[in-house]
Amino acid sequence: MDPARRLGRAQIDVLAQLGVSTVLLGGIYALIAVGLTLIFGIMRVVNFAHGEFLMLGMYVAFWAYSLWTLDPYFVLFVSIPLFFGIGYVTYVLVMRGVIHASHNVQIFTTVGLSTALQNVALVLWTGDFRTVRPWHSSVVIRVFGTAFNLSQVVAFAIALGLTLVLFAFMKWTHTGRVMRATAQDHDAATLMGVDTDKVYRLTFAIGIACVGAAGALVSPLYAVYPTAGLQFVLLAYVVVVLGGLGDMVGAMLGSLIVAAVEVVGSYFFGVAWKEVCYFILFIAVLVFRPAGLFGQRGAETLGV
Amino acid sequence: MVSLPPSRRAAAVLLGVAALAPLIVRDSFVLDSLILILMWGALSAAWNVAGGYAGQVSLGHAAFFGIGAYSAALMTARFQQSPWLGLVLGVVLSLAAGGAIGYLSNRLRGPYFALSTIAFSQVLLIGASRWRGFTAGSEGIPVPFRPGVWTLGLGHVAWVYVALVLAVLCYAVEIWLEGSRIGYQLAGIREDEDAAEALGIASRRLKVFAVTLSAALTSVGGTLWAQYVGFVDPFYVFSIDLSIRFALNTIIGGLGTALGPFLGSILITSLETYLRATFSGFKTGFAGIYLVIYGTALILVVRFAPEGLIGLAGRFGAWRARADA
Repeated sequence: MDPARRLGRAQIDVLAQLGVSTVLLGGIYALIAVGLTLIFGIMRVVNFAHGEFLMLGMYVAFWAYSLWTLDPYFVLFVSIPLFFGIGYVTYVLVMRGVIHASHNVQIFTTVGLSTALQNVALVLWTGDFRTVRPWHSSVVIRVFGTAFNLSQVVAFAIALGLTLVLFAFMKWTHTGRVMRATAQDHDAATLMGVDTDKVYRLTFAIGIACVGAAGALVSPLYAVYPTAGLQFVLLAYVVVVLGGLGDMVGAMLGSLIVAAVEVVGSYFFGVAWKEVCYFILFIAVLVFRPAGLFGQRGAETLGV
Repeated sequence: MVSLPPSRRAAAVLLGVAALAPLIVRDSFVLDSLILILMWGALSAAWNVAGGYAGQVSLGHAAFFGIGAYSAALMTARFQQSPWLGLVLGVVLSLAAGGAIGYLSNRLRGPYFALSTIAFSQVLLIGASRWRGFTAGSEGIPVPFRPGVWTLGLGHVAWVYVALVLAVLCYAVEIWLEGSRIGYQLAGIREDEDAAEALGIASRRLKVFAVTLSAALTSVGGTLWAQYVGFVDPFYVFSIDLSIRFALNTIIGGLGTALGPFLGSILITSLETYLRATFSGFKTGFAGIYLVIYGTALILVVRFAPEGLIGLAGRFGAWRARADA
């Protein structure tokens, strides 16, 4: 074997670093995507305003830090109930009226919500890039030749924890079972006495709480500005389509795939082109396996 | 003239006013607003061809706008050729890209299609903003001003008429769709694709046709806009905001109606220019308030008045007719 191509110490370190970065990034993407896929799976609505709730979550963390120097991880205790409430109110005011309307009406409603929220942020807080720099964002941990940032590790751990709690909730609680039943067959669930409106309220609130929490978690890692949600939500769409819209386990796997494409793409082609890598992946998946890598075939042509 | 329906008469009046305005008004601010209203109206009408008449809701039409803008800007700034050649090149490229997107519309419906169009415009955005050697990257391209019709270096008055021609062209396409066999077939596809296919309508081919036509018109609009404004910024011409703007104008005015996109453009563009002019000095962010209003308006319109301003006007007309009787 050509000695230059043999895996040396340096190559293994690079691979390990890429692997660790992938997993850390994937965990955070999963929390963003899981809310989106939950809302889609149960309500059959693609929430085009999902990124804007992430942006609001980042702003909450930013203001808590700059006004009271509260650590973003403590802010989570406020953020999660706050965004649960915001999601609940948004459902009642905006989504309830269009839940049984056509896809186009739903698209325009959430797009309108997205435009309004982005510009509320612009008017209130200007377009400046703002950053949160708590002490842990500058601590670097080194293990076996890999290096990563403490904030990233904590964000990953919390995101993973929250995602697992959500999984457990969906799987083992009565409410979770009711929600899954509604996702499977809305009419049958109604006939069994399920209050689907209540399920939708809860679903939207949980989905927004997830993304609000994700906003607090990413705030030490990325700058926040009124359109900050866009870069993440585009990613989340890729993740969710890869995993099959509505499929929560698929969303986890999709997050890892997108994170891997991003990490490996940035390593080989430079950070500038990483987005091209996953958009091409996205379009390729849409063309060849539109129901997702693990989804049921044919879902995309039903338009659901 | 008497036999025309009220919306056609209103369109004739509006376009006539736009044609006469430059003869009376010389104020460049007013003329500038008029040009932008006509251009955004025409572009929204182009979006309406796919989104309204054929029911293929794209959130990536900025891709075609950007293709048109870049073709002409590169043609003039880099190769010292006429922007008209750039316009033709933009149309050719947009026909190809529109064909590809139209093909996607045959495989994907509803939100899946909307997502794929967003992804497409984002790929072009990244390409244009990162390919420094050719497109000048994220700095954008200033379009050189060379006086003359062949180089599109025109004054405000002449630009009003260029924009007017574009607006009439897009309006005419819409009117043609409303009365033609293809238009009815597209409406059938929009309402129920499976039923339309069962009736023997070639839905796949027609959807590609509608999306491609819409793409080509959007590209022409993009070229003219770039030549008028004189600067191409990739983060603007390929932005999702721009794609949403086309949809927003159309829905507020009336989705799938010929006059709707223009009514929407009159409302949105004039409020935007007014707020920009008022708040430009001390707080630029405040100009964003018009988008808050329109985002909210979009939510309210699709919920309570899904036929937009046109539908409201129709309801008002019917109510008055009843009150008179």
